[in-house]
Amino acid sequence: MIENILIAGAELWSVGTLLLMALGVVAGLIAGAIPGFTIAMAVVLVLPFTFGMSPVQGLGTMIGVYVGGLSGGLMSGILTGIPGTPSSVATTFDGFPLARGGKAGLALGVGVWASFFGGVIGAIVLVLVAPQLARIGQEFQPWDYFALMAFALTVTASLAGENMVKGLIAGLIGLLVATVGEDSVVGVPRFTFGVNSVQQGFAFLPVLVGLFAFSRLLADVRDSESAKGNLGAKSDASIRINHLVAATEVLKRWGNLVRSSLIGVFTGVLPAAGSSISNILAYDQARKYSKTPEKFGTGHLDGIVAPEAANNATAGGALIVMMALGIPGDIITAVMLGALLIHDVVPSPTFITEQPVIAYAIFIAFFMANFMMLALQSVTLRGFVRVTQVKMYMLASVILFYCALGVFALNNVEFDIWTLFWFGVLGFVMSALGFPIVPVILGVVLGGIAENALAQVIALSDDPTHFVTRPWSLFFIVLGLFSSFFHVYQRQRGRKRWTLVFIPAMCICLSVPVAMMDGIVRPVLAALLFVGGLYLLYQRHREGWVVMTEDQGEAPTIAEGGP
Amino acid sequence: MQRLNRDTIVAIILLALCGVFFYVSFDIRTPEFERLAPGQMDPGLWPRIILSGLVLMALIYLAQSVISPPADQEERGGLGGWYRHYRNPIHCFLAFGAFMLLIPYLGMLLAGMLFVFGMMTMLGGRERWLIGTHATVSVCTVGGMWFIFACLLSVQLPRSSLFPDAEEWLLVNICGISEAIGGLFAAAPRACAVILV
Repeated sequence: MIENILIAGAELWSVGTLLLMALGVVAGLIAGAIPGFTIAMAVVLVLPFTFGMSPVQGLGTMIGVYVGGLSGGLMSGILTGIPGTPSSVATTFDGFPLARGGKAGLALGVGVWASFFGGVIGAIVLVLVAPQLARIGQEFQPWDYFALMAFALTVTASLAGENMVKGLIAGLIGLLVATVGEDSVVGVPRFTFGVNSVQQGFAFLPVLVGLFAFSRLLADVRDSESAKGNLGAKSDASIRINHLVAATEVLKRWGNLVRSSLIGVFTGVLPAAGSSISNILAYDQARKYSKTPEKFGTGHLDGIVAPEAANNATAGGALIVMMALGIPGDIITAVMLGALLIHDVVPSPTFITEQPVIAYAIFIAFFMANFMMLALQSVTLRGFVRVTQVKMYMLASVILFYCALGVFALNNVEFDIWTLFWFGVLGFVMSALGFPIVPVILGVVLGGIAENALAQVIALSDDPTHFVTRPWSLFFIVLGLFSSFFHVYQRQRGRKRWTLVFIPAMCICLSVPVAMMDGIVRPVLAALLFVGGLYLLYQRHREGWVVMTEDQGEAPTIAEGGP
Repeated sequence: MQRLNRDTIVAIILLALCGVFFYVSFDIRTPEFERLAPGQMDPGLWPRIILSGLVLMALIYLAQSVISPPADQEERGGLGGWYRHYRNPIHCFLAFGAFMLLIPYLGMLLAGMLFVFGMMTMLGGRERWLIGTHATVSVCTVGGMWFIFACLLSVQLPRSSLFPDAEEWLLVNICGISEAIGGLFAAAPRACAVILV
């Protein structure tokens, strides 16, 4: 282990890699500071530049963008009241009033330091938990692996938003796109319709950039008013941060800091529940635990610490899932998995064991990126404020060209630019028709991996009962079934009677496969799950299966745009 | 008769596409050697599993759209209204299409500059001072990125077939100058060391 850490550290501690990571952090900070530009888009746009790099350099750069983006959003959120990214929505609740009250420097300083501490706590949890989870990954057989992929695909239902069917259709379209070209098992061309260029299948990057960035940029310039708008009009470029005061203020709120960071990590581990949710959850909890909840929304420092610590810690949670199980926890880790594939590293539950150098490099890079973010955000704050004043149409025009250049550089093939174009059209049309884009990307990333796992299953045995007799496979099937309906549960929680049974039923059902596992700890855990489920049922029964009326249910919540 | 709503039309198109793909999936040729390996998965199996799921979901979507049609569909006022609503994205797609068609003739650098300039002028306005700004931004941003890819990363970007000499001249001179500067920087520490010693 120490040997691997040293090799990974040596790769990362070169001047070139450090510079690239710093550039990544700056790119992330800029993207995060621009309202409408998501972190995922920034990571996607940086991806083409990483081809010429080693996997460690490339991933280090992308982690820099990820961490930078998570923190960059706070700048526009605090200074203009428009969150740069969805992950800093809750930061604006208190950050903007504080800045408007003449304390913009303090608000930014507290935000920067809370981001830093949140990121470091996330990194510590990542280092401690991921290797333990990865040991479990070594027990996986192809049946378990296929069930894991199926479970990851049920995430599409959670990503669908309002309409689950549209989300599932989008996910299936992504899977279908991944089947185009030669199949990976026997090399037979599929769905090429006689076009030779499609023989090799669609390259991942043009599909990703087309679906996500291209369509998004065009949506941003759809009407002339938003196209000509300044991104962050009235920011004051002469703001100063007193770091000592800001860091002290954050550390004084250590309880809120640790709680929010852990909420962030936990949310990151849950598939599809990213930093856009964690910052609101943490804000909500901070307000509930506060002795002065009435101050929230008026420029309370706790209201900045909670969301900023949570959103940076979420990255640690998402990376835990990516590294330990080889499945994406959110869209950004989905892109990173794609980047690993481009560098011929196949993500799987054995990733940490098989690629220890890359794995430890990710750990170290995540730590380092947080320190770089702190330093760079402080130094270049004024510049970022100016970037938010660029007009949208200028950015869109230049970035569209960069997209084309970047995807061409992948294979030096002009067909990739056409792929970018057609998937841009597809992404735009799908968005306009109300289909979510993220499930398509998830489908494209996981399609090939799931097919290979299925091919292994079929090659090993034609007995489908293995899926329910193997504990891990059954575990993921049960989890997948519940995960498919989780967003419906979240929407109707407490308003419909069936939602009272959902969590207890999930605990009891999950206890079955866990009880089937070897050892002592897991059967004990199964017993706890079973007893916990029964206890919850008993509690609901004692409360008389009470549900909220429609009026009670419609009470405004923080998640719906409060306070 | 009630007008078909947008979701119904989309569901029908999806079902039709699924039909086409299903039909084509039966044309996927099973290789000769696969018959010798009975455990091998049929290359058409996985796509057909996906298509089955897609058909099922499209049917549910169709049923949803018929039983409870979306209440607040925006009225765009026919084809003209639809065009007005999506004018900017349509123009951007057309501009990008033109850019791709121009690449073989003008090369990545010139076609890129024209594309960025055209897009900015189309979206941002045609006032004289704006045109100057757009021209400067397009030359600097496209030129800068071209320099990074062509000179620093040594990527073979598409060359112009109409002005091959001009592009060759740019490549040789600009990349040559950058190489010379890079060489100077590389040699500087050694030179300093030699002088000091």
